[in-house]
Amino acid sequence: MRMTKERNKRNRKPGSGGLWSVGWTRFRERRLAVAGAVIVLFLYLVAIFAPVLTPYNPVTYGDIPAARYMGPSFQHPFGTDKFGRDVMTRMFYGSRVSLLIGFFAVTLSIVLGSLVGALSGYAGGIVDAVLMRVVDALMAIPRLFLLLTCIALFSQSILLIIILLGATGWMSAARLVRGQVLAIKQKDYIVAAEALGAGGKRIIFKHLIPNTLTVIVVSATLRIGGIILAEAALSFLGLGVPPPTPSWGMMVFEGRDVMLDAWWVSTFPGLAIVITVIGFNLLGDGLRDAFDPIHFT
Amino acid sequence: MTGFIIKRLMQSVLLIFLVLTITFFLLHLAPGDPMAKYYNRQGISPETVKMMRAKFGLDRPITEQYIKWVANFARGDFGFSLHYDRRPVRDLVFEAIPNTLRLTVAALLLYIVIGISLGILSAVKKGTLFDKVNTVTALFLYSIPSFWLSLMLIFIFSLKLGILPSSHMQSIGMEGAGWFELLCDRARHLVLPAFVLGVASAAGMARYMRGSMLDVLREDYIRTARAKGLENKKIFLKHAFRNAAIPVVTIIGLSIPFLLGGAVVIEKIFSWPGMGRLAVDAIYARDYPVVLAVNFVVGVMVILGNLVADIGYALLDPRIKVTKKTE
Repeated sequence: MRMTKERNKRNRKPGSGGLWSVGWTRFRERRLAVAGAVIVLFLYLVAIFAPVLTPYNPVTYGDIPAARYMGPSFQHPFGTDKFGRDVMTRMFYGSRVSLLIGFFAVTLSIVLGSLVGALSGYAGGIVDAVLMRVVDALMAIPRLFLLLTCIALFSQSILLIIILLGATGWMSAARLVRGQVLAIKQKDYIVAAEALGAGGKRIIFKHLIPNTLTVIVVSATLRIGGIILAEAALSFLGLGVPPPTPSWGMMVFEGRDVMLDAWWVSTFPGLAIVITVIGFNLLGDGLRDAFDPIHFT
Repeated sequence: MTGFIIKRLMQSVLLIFLVLTITFFLLHLAPGDPMAKYYNRQGISPETVKMMRAKFGLDRPITEQYIKWVANFARGDFGFSLHYDRRPVRDLVFEAIPNTLRLTVAALLLYIVIGISLGILSAVKKGTLFDKVNTVTALFLYSIPSFWLSLMLIFIFSLKLGILPSSHMQSIGMEGAGWFELLCDRARHLVLPAFVLGVASAAGMARYMRGSMLDVLREDYIRTARAKGLENKKIFLKHAFRNAAIPVVTIIGLSIPFLLGGAVVIEKIFSWPGMGRLAVDAIYARDYPVVLAVNFVVGVMVILGNLVADIGYALLDPRIKVTKKTE
């Protein structure tokens, strides 16, 4: 860490040094991007240290007659819900669900998308045509409808939500990677590898995918916000993570009918979603601008 | 031009066919068979299960099922609902389509008007406080979950201020009212859901329009216009806007799936009797035929919307015709 800092101090000129150090320098110059990174880091810390940060349990009911719907106070900064549970505690634990699902669903969609995109771009011809038409068709169905259809057919669990969000989100990644692969397929080192007798599998995994990695990682960051919103919407509809596991979308739903008497039940988890999504979007925008201004515009 | 339209038309038909195939595939991806959950839960005897399987055609070979399925769906025959008194799914869906369209078209108009005007103003006043506030607001709106925004707006405008209705398409007992009163009443019901649905897309549109305007303002013909001594207003509206607006047509086409997808949650919250609410309620009731039919119809609507947007783009942008000829 200190090494990088010192090197950046010595040669401030953009364009010198490796891709990562240049990108890092450019990233740090953007205040909003840094703010996004701070938000995201803060969220991960809250998710990891939730048990230390709060004395309450997120799932067990409180003393319902006495503790339900208590307004914000020193003991309960964000109030309590209808079962007398501390809203802030549930929000802390709820961040685990959002971050976990966001991370794994994006990883899954990126892996799937990269494989399909690389195969499509590298193979070309009929394989490309068929795969890309399937992508078009899947993209024609709005994601939420696609998700609802799948959820209707299977039973609910966290794993299912991750798989479904990943499996319904790989199409745009596939298009992105395909475009990248088409662009670098003609480069000399690929031709050289082919001339040396490397097979299609080796070229895809050893050359094409590693060289599109920056683009893939950056686009993944930009996708997380959308995934978190989708998960929250599903949970709000009661089709996401099954209770009693706290998730922000479900918490907003639980406060929906008591807005007049207990506005805090819905309001604070909703704000948590907004701030999280803003954080990931700022971070993604910043990474995109810093690492690859050309490929993403 | 005709060739281009015919080509796009054929692509759309192929896509619709693929959407059908995917839906069929999804149905058979479910554990057991598509009806397993339905007849397993009440402890029905094996004979009845066999009878039901035969009735739904599930005992036939998969290829035969597929062909029959495609033929039925293509004709708009979606089977019968398992829940709503076994009504034909087609009736349920066709009742919901106009309601969803009313909501999404209102949202579309709203987002085009808000998005374009804010985008242009931002580009014209680039770097000012107005532009910065706009950018930050756009980011904020883009990151708000629609269901939460809906709740907050219902809280403020319906519960606290009491000036806008919080659900349904019209008030109870409006059947006998005059057409003008009915129109006003319906418009009032439309305000909140259409706003929530449109505003997130408007944020994206404003961002896009701003970029597009700034690109165009760098062009030579804008400099020429300035050199001629034209006033700013004329340059922005006559020269810059017209050229910057062309790619916006594509963005509108691309936003259709987002609007329809967003309608799911919003229809549910505002008790709007459209396709989104139909689909969600069908899932709660494990009513698969309805879910699959809605899925298919929405897919078709998106494909047709994109087709219209593409043709509109080709009509607006003379360069496309030229490139088609030289090809």
